[in-house]
Amino acid sequence: MYHPKAIVDLIAGNVRKTRNPFGAFHFVMNRWWKNLDLPRDGSTLFYTGLMVQSVPFIERITRQLEALEDTSWAPLVGYGSWIPKRLVQVGSLFMTTPKERAPYEQILKDMVALLRRSGVRFAYRPDLDLYSGILLYDLGDQEAFEAHARFVAKRLQEAGVRTLITVDPHTTYAFKVLYPKYVGAEFEVRTYFELLRLQGEPNGTRVTLHDPCFFGRYLKLSHVPRRVLRDVGVAVADVQQSGPLTHCCGGPAESVSPKLSREIVERRVDQLKQTGAPILSMCPICMGNLKKAGADVQDLASFLARRVSSSGNGQNRKDQT
Amino acid sequence: MAFVDLSFPDELERFGVSTTLDCFNCGTCAAICPLIYEHFPRQMIRYAQIGARDRILENGVELWRCLHCGLCTQTCPREANPGELILGLRRYVLHHWRRDGHVPS
Repeated sequence: MYHPKAIVDLIAGNVRKTRNPFGAFHFVMNRWWKNLDLPRDGSTLFYTGLMVQSVPFIERITRQLEALEDTSWAPLVGYGSWIPKRLVQVGSLFMTTPKERAPYEQILKDMVALLRRSGVRFAYRPDLDLYSGILLYDLGDQEAFEAHARFVAKRLQEAGVRTLITVDPHTTYAFKVLYPKYVGAEFEVRTYFELLRLQGEPNGTRVTLHDPCFFGRYLKLSHVPRRVLRDVGVAVADVQQSGPLTHCCGGPAESVSPKLSREIVERRVDQLKQTGAPILSMCPICMGNLKKAGADVQDLASFLARRVSSSGNGQNRKDQT
Repeated sequence: MAFVDLSFPDELERFGVSTTLDCFNCGTCAAICPLIYEHFPRQMIRYAQIGARDRILENGVELWRCLHCGLCTQTCPREANPGELILGLRRYVLHHWRRDGHVPS
């Protein structure tokens, strides 16, 4: 196990200097939207909070943390905060490959396609799509979280943003619950799947949903993706621990103890495999972690996008990207 | 030996915890917690109730094993919010580490 103070100080330093937990250039983390021609003007924003784009970075970093955990090198991780900001940023250019980023960028493109197909109007502002700071909150660095949240809220408010269409449970929780509570910033927050209006005929397809803790318990939204799947004719085979009683994927422990994280996710994957149905995830952190334990898991949005485009009943086919 | 300090639950309110004394130590949280080891989070909650700050600080690192998954909070029969209490203890411990210039080893 790494000392939490070393990890917290490293992440808080990165967020303070670069506004993301990895110390990366913003343009390096957020390039999925290029060539999509998304509208820029509007008070309703598609908002990723950079979580989906983070997964290839997390995978790279946790591979290294896992190799060093409980070795004599482990205490040196804390010195990472001494590396100059510019050097870390330049390093971020080489941290992930296009091949590693592609499946995660595709998830966001699929979400955009599904929202368009459902007739939802929204804008995207890459410059305003900022990290929520949720990891600082989870790790107990309240001061750093609130400072970052104030910065983000101010940027969004100054740009006249009123509604955020979020894509992952952690960013959703941050803007729906934490921003109003701790920095007094109120936005209307809707998760993308709450806005989906899709149709499809049943053809015997079954899936198993892994509910992330924050959708299942904290935000009580588990019924919504099940409604969307029912609308497109897909049956959900639930495992015993689902909905409000879902089992954690182990992801939250990966920065402090990759070993503990692996122990938890292996237990969860054993549960999910029991139905024999394909596994769907709704959280990029869960997806990255479930994959690490060898699960064949796909994102809900990517599954839905394939489903509606193959069923041949949709309009706006050209919007599929 | 740990010293008992009954004012500690009041101090924890500064760190966002208002339910320290609501817990009656039934252990449901420890039974349902995915960590399944050494009475987590029940033991930490008990330390908080009696104000055993030394024990909390000595074992502070363990607080970061918590996944903040919320299963304990979901199932707590007293609605004592055990998961949020652990998060508040993280804030308390981190505050003390920083104030005291604690160097991770």
